[in-house]
Amino acid sequence: MIDKAILLEKMKTSPYKPMKARIIEAKMVTENEKFFKIELEGKINLSHEPGQFVMVSIFGFGEAPISVCSSPTDKGFFDLTVRNVGMLTNALHKLNEGDIVGIRGPFGRGFPVDNMFGYDIVIVAGGLGIVPLRSLIRYIMHNRNDFGDVQILLGCRTPREFLFKEETKEWMRRTEIKFKCTVDRADPDWKGNVGLVTSLIPGVDINPVKTYAVVVGPPVMYKFVILKLLEKAIPDHQIIVSLERRMRCGLGKCGHCQIEGIYVCQSGPVFNYAQLKDFRGECHEGECYEKKI
Amino acid sequence: MKKRSKPKVAFFDFTDCEGCQLQITNMGDTLLELTELFDIVNFREIMSEKSDDYDIAVVEGSISTDNDIKRIKGIRERAKILVAFGSCATIAGVNGIKNRAPLELARQRVYGDKADTVNTIKAMPLDEVVKVDYYILNCPPYVPEIIAVFKSILIGKPYPLPNYAVCVECKMNENVCRYEKDEECMGPVTRAGCNSWCINNGNRCYACRGLVENPAADGAKDIFLKYGFKAEDILKHFTLYNDPQGEKKYDREFK
Amino acid sequence: MKVKYAILEKQDLYRWVEYLKIKARLYAPKKKENLFVFGPVKNADEICLDYIPTILPPKKYYFPQKEKLLEFSIKPFKSEKAIKEFEEYILFGVHTCDIAGIQCLDVVFREYPEDPNYLNRKEKMTIIGIECFKYCDKYANCTSMGNNVPRGGYDLMMVDLGQNFIIHINSEKGERLVVELDYIKEAKPQDLAKLENFRNEKKKMFREELNAPLPEVYKAFSEYESFHSEVWNDVGRRCVACGNCTAVCPTCYCFDIVDELELTLNDGLRYRIWNYCQMDDFAKVATGEDFRKGRNSRQRHRYYRKFKYPVDKYNRYFCIGCGRCSRTCMADIILIETVDSIVDPANAQNYKGLIKNMPEVCQITQDTGACDDR
Ligand SMILES: Cc1cc2nc3c(=O)[nH]c(=O)nc-3n(C[C@H](O)[C@H](O)[C@H](O)COP(=O)(O)OP(=O)(O)OC[C@H]3O[C@@H](n4cnc5c(N)ncnc54)[C@H](O)[C@@H]3O)c2cc1C
Ligand code: SF4
Ligand code: SF4
Ligand code: FES
Repeated sequence: MIDKAILLEKMKTSPYKPMKARIIEAKMVTENEKFFKIELEGKINLSHEPGQFVMVSIFGFGEAPISVCSSPTDKGFFDLTVRNVGMLTNALHKLNEGDIVGIRGPFGRGFPVDNMFGYDIVIVAGGLGIVPLRSLIRYIMHNRNDFGDVQILLGCRTPREFLFKEETKEWMRRTEIKFKCTVDRADPDWKGNVGLVTSLIPGVDINPVKTYAVVVGPPVMYKFVILKLLEKAIPDHQIIVSLERRMRCGLGKCGHCQIEGIYVCQSGPVFNYAQLKDFRGECHEGECYEKKI
Repeated sequence: MKKRSKPKVAFFDFTDCEGCQLQITNMGDTLLELTELFDIVNFREIMSEKSDDYDIAVVEGSISTDNDIKRIKGIRERAKILVAFGSCATIAGVNGIKNRAPLELARQRVYGDKADTVNTIKAMPLDEVVKVDYYILNCPPYVPEIIAVFKSILIGKPYPLPNYAVCVECKMNENVCRYEKDEECMGPVTRAGCNSWCINNGNRCYACRGLVENPAADGAKDIFLKYGFKAEDILKHFTLYNDPQGEKKYDREFK
Repeated sequence: MKVKYAILEKQDLYRWVEYLKIKARLYAPKKKENLFVFGPVKNADEICLDYIPTILPPKKYYFPQKEKLLEFSIKPFKSEKAIKEFEEYILFGVHTCDIAGIQCLDVVFREYPEDPNYLNRKEKMTIIGIECFKYCDKYANCTSMGNNVPRGGYDLMMVDLGQNFIIHINSEKGERLVVELDYIKEAKPQDLAKLENFRNEKKKMFREELNAPLPEVYKAFSEYESFHSEVWNDVGRRCVACGNCTAVCPTCYCFDIVDELELTLNDGLRYRIWNYCQMDDFAKVATGEDFRKGRNSRQRHRYYRKFKYPVDKYNRYFCIGCGRCSRTCMADIILIETVDSIVDPANAQNYKGLIKNMPEVCQITQDTGACDDR
């Protein structure tokens, strides 16, 4: 039982109350995605872990969960990258430098960076999946000596959806990170690989027991990527996945994000495959995960 | 605060009873508050001047003649925002009943020997002809919803229609369910948003807001039959307001 | 606490109700057409102590349908907890099953991160229960869930002994509502003997409604096959996703959060509104992915959230046995039938509306005062 005095204190404020935050930089990065650099009032640090998310509020419009895409080692500000898909994200796209938003969080459990120390890292991103992964990549960059080989495999639908292009070049140059990418559909200027991101996996050279694979993307993508990674004999608990679910509260109460008995907003969004494969509620289009894998 | 320039609103009607516009005039004080935010430039029910210069067109009624098509396309061109107002404009409403009979027959029945002189086409909601930005459902529209939609327009936010059944709101209002009293109700398959207005007032739900996106026609039919309604009554209940939705939503089950 | 049990004579009931009304806002079961609802008490004779579960559980007082969370303004940016002062209130005549429902939500909202709105309301709540001595109707499964008898969680519990009520005093808050009254006296040994007697009689009448005991139900729900059982498809085919079952459930607590602006377009309120896992879009994300698409998987989710997930998480069944979901479902999806069919698929053949056609469970007749015309 919680101490009554502590409880009374907690009852005075509300976890639904967002903090005031200011947009200090905003730019369109692709046709549909906008990048924001955000500063909390009083320049306090968000103190998040790579892979966690915040609830972004615009009063009158509502709230949406958005991954933090900067590393906790970036102090005094944090970054978000937002795809315009609906009500709140559309309103967010209309905001610019100097505008105010509300922030709650950070919420959820991030990538298990402590366990990953000393391991080789394979990062597999599909589309917008690179956004939460950027927090991990930047974290690794800032602590490069703590990790082994790092490889990034990125898949986009078209070259125009390629996020963080300049930064990727920078990563490759400065920190010995291997990078490969592929597009589903090429355009005339594209000179790289064409095909699904799964096609890149057989080509990577890894020592499975010494490797953590981190996968973020839409369900159809991570299902097949996981299959390929299992073929490479990476142990279940070393395959890390971040899931997207509908979220309203971030507090493990509203029920929208639930998979079986688990609230993704609190116990996730990051899970390892050992956990994931037991989720029967991980249903997609009426078909169960376990049946596909 | 900076005074924003007020957007101009014009009201138009097509095939309908003008009850929807009446609902606006019934708003009383709230209407006055709303006119602080908008300039009404065209509204037949309460004013005589007319204008072709407007930002927001609020259109009631269904499209049912060739001339209607021309006119609504004109309105669409001039308006920045087009609001479909009321059941006739959003789902073709009661006008849709006409579509059940062949057009020729409908014309004969209504106009008798003058049938040849009138032009008529099938009754359509506005969005079968032009793009619609906002929908205000209901017959007649529910005042709190009218206000909510106008607020959304002002802040440039979409107004997503609820995609769940009227029962949800009915239960929140703690009404005794009509089925509990062996009376029929379209609540289980009708789109919510009216705060179960009719049932709160002792009436049944007539489905004037149209059906939810994915109505459980199977289950609903079982329920209707179980409570002793005949198959043709069920079809009538479903089509009173919702004929144009038929092909998509229930015909397969009921025809 | 000195007195554990007190006696209230029936002729003093209304007097006590008047007294309670002065102490705090009083909500009690009242008649509404052919059913019952909890509502504010104007006159004591509105109260029906002999009632079947109300349309909505008393949940609407501690987890309201639409509740203000925040007060905000856009420019300048301001956000504050919307309600700071909550009112004292008494829930009068709550069934033991509904009290178990309050205990369930307690567990949920007290879990980290605590929900201040719920806790604020809970803090101001006084519960005066009433123990049932006859079955509500054939939909209830309170005995199987162990909630047909009081199991704590209340301040006072009334038991109708015929000429008088014996009141169990279970908290200091409850004690304060009886001690200073001269017409409420300490119970004598013979009253307690009578209570004992009533309880023994009750045991004979209340039978476990589910075919199998709870541990077997839990075991069945944990089995791989149950998740893919044909039962869910059958239930899903009949369900119309009206959401009634979840709306009336005392242990359903899912919600949505929405903003409403005032006409100034600068100030407004952020609300939370009941939201149900039976709704079409409940688990749909912006990319169009829907993680519980069919009505079958949504119904399954509802049942698992009563008989499996909370047992794993809190060691508590989140079905309290009030029978509301079955009573309200126009598609005749009956909890007892569904659960029995999951435990033993052979049952599925026998059911399908069977309970609907069963005679009412026999009831002892007993005069409980007002509203016995039900
Ligand atoms: C942990 C997590 C991290 C995320 N990180 C990011 C990120 O970094 N960047 C990013 O861009 N996105 C991210 N997302 C996704 C983002 O949260 C959604 O895109 C966002 O919630 C959309 O909200 P909205 O208000 O713009 O859309 P809305 O239009 O309000 O939609 C909100 C929800 O309602 C549903 N909905 C409403 N109307 C309809 C309809 N007509 N048809 C179908 N569905 C409908 C949608 O499915 C959606 O889930 C993340 C999500 C999660 C769970
Ligand atoms: S009265 Fe109609 S809307 Fe209300 S719960 Fe019953 S069926 Fe649904
Ligand atoms: S009350 Fe019945 S029909 Fe309605 S959602 Fe629940 S199970 Fe389905
Ligand atoms: S977002 Fe509300 S429970 Fe997870």
